[in-house]
Amino acid sequence: MKWKKADVAQYLEAKEYIDTILIPLIPYQMTGDTELEKNAFQNELTSVLANELEKELTGRIMLTPTYNYVKAADREEEVNRIHSWIEEIQQQPFPHIFLLTLDSSWKKHEQALDGTLLWLPGMKSGDLHSAEMHRFIRDQVEQVSELIRSYW
Amino acid sequence: MSEKKQQVSRRQFLNYTLTGVGGFMAAGMLAPMLRMAVDPVLQESGHGDLTNVSLAVEDITTDPQRIDWKVKQVDGWYESEVNRSAWVFKDENDEIQAFSPICKHLGCVVSWEGSDEYPDQFYCPCHDGRYYKDGTNVPGTPPLQPLDVYEQEVRDGMLFLGDAVPREGA
Ligand code: FES
Repeated sequence: MKWKKADVAQYLEAKEYIDTILIPLIPYQMTGDTELEKNAFQNELTSVLANELEKELTGRIMLTPTYNYVKAADREEEVNRIHSWIEEIQQQPFPHIFLLTLDSSWKKHEQALDGTLLWLPGMKSGDLHSAEMHRFIRDQVEQVSELIRSYW
Repeated sequence: MSEKKQQVSRRQFLNYTLTGVGGFMAAGMLAPMLRMAVDPVLQESGHGDLTNVSLAVEDITTDPQRIDWKVKQVDGWYESEVNRSAWVFKDENDEIQAFSPICKHLGCVVSWEGSDEYPDQFYCPCHDGRYYKDGTNVPGTPPLQPLDVYEQEVRDGMLFLGDAVPREGA
């Protein structure tokens, strides 16, 4: 399910079946010409992965809007901000919270996070519409959904 | 007397314009409806939208295989390419079956033999929904309808698929 009216209406009807939240963590930054393309690509790829995952497990997962942050921002502050999201989410019964990111800097803060970090190495660059990328994405989605299922 | 001959009063004027606008809107709404009513007659037998899914009929076995393809779709504001998938196989009467993988419970993607515990069934990982090989939902599992079936056609030995259509409940 996505953060859309129709999906949310369905959620309200079938709450007991949708017990998992997926939050994409995507950095954003304008500094540094050399990094721009890479960062933008990371944004696209993370969104595609999150959307595909949602599609695969739509009946049990709610995909939240993307959590954006400035890449250079202090991670501890960001952890607090993420926790305020999670706390709020917990107004509804969601025992499983997953944070999906391609940004390896979260790995160091994994312990402090109040949710399960799904860090994927991703790809530095490429063509999102190529057959190769398509296969890569399918593959990743399959593996990550298996991982998520192991928590259920 | 001359008072009565006055030009259109303010109220009348507003009434006229509103009727006019209303008429336009009604026409705007009715025209497409009319078209929709007549269109099916004008269209030739409606299989214009089948897509070649790049699967040769001779490669279809009795084991369901998952195939993916793309179609153009206009969805409200966006025109986009959407991915579609199907489970395709030949049934015991040698007829081609193409099922939508979308679970009829809450829409997760089902896989053929997706659970080791239930060989010969389609399995939905979200809430253990199951379907027999012919697509009917296994009673007692969350889905209440059989899997949707794709419109299909074989042209020059290749499989063409269209939209997935619901079947009657079991
Ligand atoms: S979505 Fe398939 S069993 Fe619930």
